[in-house]
Amino acid sequence: MPEYSVVGRRLPRVDALEKVTGAAKYGADVHPPGMLYGKIVRSEYPHAKILHIDTTEAELLPGVRAIITQADVESGRKVFASDKVLYSGEPIAAVAATDSDIADEAAGLIKIEYERLPVVQNVMEAIQPTAPRLHSDETKDGPSRRGIRNRLKQLSLDESEGSSEEIRTLETELETLEEDVYYNISAETHTEIGDVEKGFAESDIVVENTYTIPRVHQTYMEPHVSVASADSSGKVTVWASTQGPFAIRSGIAGTLGIPLGKINVIPTIMGGGFGGRFGVTMTHVPAVLLSQKTGRPVRVQVTRKEEFLDGRPAPGCVIKMKTGATKSGGILACQALAFWDSGAVSGASIGSTIRVRGVYKIPNLKVDAYGVYTNKSGTTAYRAPGAPQAIFAAESQLDEIARRIGMDPVEFRLKNMREEGDMIPGGSQEPVIGYKETLKAVADAAGWWNRDKSHNQGWGVAVGDWTNGCGPGGVYVSIHEDGSARIFHGSMDITGTDTAITQIVAEILTLPYERVTITRGDTDSAPYATGSGGSVVTFTMGNTAKLAAEDTRRRILELAAERLNTEIDNFELRDGKIFVNGADSPKSISLGELAAFSLNTRGGPIVGKGSFAQQSSTPALAAQIAKVEVDAETGRIKVLKLVSSQDVGFAINPMAVEGQIEGGTVQGYAWAIMEEMQYDQNGNVNPGLVDYRVPTSADLPTVESVIVEVPAPNGPFGAKGVGEPPITPTLATMSNAVVDAVGVRVNDLPIKPEKIVAALHNNGN
Amino acid sequence: MPKKVHVQTTINGETVEFLCEPRQSLLEVLRDELGMTGAKEGCNNGNCGACSVILDGRLVNSCIVLGVETEGKTVETVEGLAEPGKLHPIQEIFLEDAALQCGICTPGFIVATKALLDKNPNPTEYEVRYWLAGNLCRCTGYDKIVRAVLDSAQIMSSEVGA
Repeated sequence: MPEYSVVGRRLPRVDALEKVTGAAKYGADVHPPGMLYGKIVRSEYPHAKILHIDTTEAELLPGVRAIITQADVESGRKVFASDKVLYSGEPIAAVAATDSDIADEAAGLIKIEYERLPVVQNVMEAIQPTAPRLHSDETKDGPSRRGIRNRLKQLSLDESEGSSEEIRTLETELETLEEDVYYNISAETHTEIGDVEKGFAESDIVVENTYTIPRVHQTYMEPHVSVASADSSGKVTVWASTQGPFAIRSGIAGTLGIPLGKINVIPTIMGGGFGGRFGVTMTHVPAVLLSQKTGRPVRVQVTRKEEFLDGRPAPGCVIKMKTGATKSGGILACQALAFWDSGAVSGASIGSTIRVRGVYKIPNLKVDAYGVYTNKSGTTAYRAPGAPQAIFAAESQLDEIARRIGMDPVEFRLKNMREEGDMIPGGSQEPVIGYKETLKAVADAAGWWNRDKSHNQGWGVAVGDWTNGCGPGGVYVSIHEDGSARIFHGSMDITGTDTAITQIVAEILTLPYERVTITRGDTDSAPYATGSGGSVVTFTMGNTAKLAAEDTRRRILELAAERLNTEIDNFELRDGKIFVNGADSPKSISLGELAAFSLNTRGGPIVGKGSFAQQSSTPALAAQIAKVEVDAETGRIKVLKLVSSQDVGFAINPMAVEGQIEGGTVQGYAWAIMEEMQYDQNGNVNPGLVDYRVPTSADLPTVESVIVEVPAPNGPFGAKGVGEPPITPTLATMSNAVVDAVGVRVNDLPIKPEKIVAALHNNGN
Repeated sequence: MPKKVHVQTTINGETVEFLCEPRQSLLEVLRDELGMTGAKEGCNNGNCGACSVILDGRLVNSCIVLGVETEGKTVETVEGLAEPGKLHPIQEIFLEDAALQCGICTPGFIVATKALLDKNPNPTEYEVRYWLAGNLCRCTGYDKIVRAVLDSAQIMSSEVGA
């Protein structure tokens, strides 16, 4: 591996100083003069007709400056519910007042008359003909009906193949398959490779189970907040805590019909996102409307409770899954039917159901996935969206097969793992990958091969894969007259990406880390940048910054050649200075001198630009091993050891990479063991941090992280996206460890103590 | 209109006077009346610790303390820790040990750490993990924070001993 001087080092974050002193400004710290406080009025019921909205009393309250409902919004643009609500917490109106208490009080004075409608909260009930319909009476075919219809279509196209008798039989069958019709379907996706029926028939062992994964909230510690200020020219300025400022700009433009040039989004430091802070959400549009109506800046900040009622959490789902294998441990077939709870809005992560294929050679695969409407808020991304759910089902099944055939679960996985050149089921050929290296690394680090355990202790292993996304973006690098460099860009710092980008630019320009600064612009000033999610930033923007730095270097060398009146090939950039090649010549020139030379002769600074063609990286694997102890009497799970390895391609900042692995693994642990948004006929029943428990420092021991580096050929210095993979295997890791400890498999997450106790009781313990 | 109350208190060693409504929390007073935004609001009901301050030597969630309760008392916030040009050792170590990511919980953790080490200069890892259980962090998984607190304790006691 080449020697680097800045990348690959454990350097402190560029934003650490302002964060440890409390000086860092987040969304709620923005307070323009004359600012009003906004408050959203929300539905009390999960499903109801709105009969009447009366704002009279609220308007009379001193300090109230504006009340808006859908009636204040241009027709055809939906911001508030006006005739019907589909979940508790759905926005119906918004208030702006001189302080937050008056806004709260006014919100309480708005009288809304409802007619309640029947409610459906469970996906398996929502697909039934008896369920209340949220959007329409339309039905979708289930997998069996789809199969028959596809066959019928084939027969009608190919006369020679079909017989009228087969057609009649199929048509009769179709009529009798009444139950294979689903209601309240928001979306569907289907994949079929090979012949799963044949695969199961050839299998020595087939395991089949239903897995229920709960809806969980990203629980970023900063509640959604934005401040909007509309001036008399129609220009709208929005301070937003967001993963993607440019998407906020286009979202506001699209929702309210404002031209892009009339909107400036100023991103504030983001207090966590994890996928839940993408696009126009709870606060942005109401803040703009309230500011337009009052002519004053308005801050809309939601409470923690509102986060649970109207945030966009990760979808829960039910996955029915079946896997077949031979006695010698070869996987032959895998079939999944998934119902994703999309809430009242279309768009759960149903496309991720295909991830049940994992990183294994599977000749026969069939996946049918449906998004299902229920009376809950909509959902969105949460760290590798959809993958933890699908991988939980798949990695639980593999664990069961390994147990049944008596094969070590690590060996079983290694035997079936794909290698470079193998076909990804439903995809292309595997590029250079590090699946086996990553699994072996965690097994070695955890002491898997000579593991010991006492009574009620167990070891679990699972792996999860993810490939980072990509997106467009531009970066500028310029050189100051003192020879230091500055990076200017528009992507949000997530997971320490500003730090990684700074290290990359410093490396290329051979400058010390401290001599490079990074500045983020707003959407009026900065070059476009894709949103910070999908583990794209270090990969995409890192590549972009690297190209910008290389462009800057080229310009520096050109200028040096001009300045010293010689050929460009004679120079090299080293330690922030330009040297004449081959000789320790006195003919060196500092970057500062050149920057000044550029100002004097070119009439401008040295500026390099970069943008990176959109392409994805190579896949990354996370592999984890847990050792747990289960109290058979109380059902409490104690984690004794949790080791997490990950192929990161190349760790630009190992300390930041460890932080991602540790944080993601703990989020996965929590999804497996404790977190669950719970609903009844009135809506979410645990909208707060006491009833919705997230892990504390007292819940876990040290998470040991193991960095594996199988470079991505197209990554900056070989780096891959690191943020998402570590959450993907943990749900299964924990469940598999519990099985090894006490012999019960809880397929309905979270694995709460009472479920373990009940299962042990059923087993006769 | 509610009548505002005059309060005199000591914040980070300086005498401060302010007017506040009887129902305003200390967090609201700090952020909205005094412009000290280092303490953060994560839940506004005492569950997340992002608003941690030290009140007469005791670690409290400032969102569930009333502004008027600080009359005649001393308040320490994150803003009072660093001296000009010199970070408090706890801040220095959080920075060096990468014990932060998004950073919104960081002021709360640093204040909570100060309160712990004021009382117990050499805590065990077990004591650190239970003391910090009132401060939530969603990014780090806590490990680097716990290391930073243990490292701070070690460095601060060696400085005292020197």
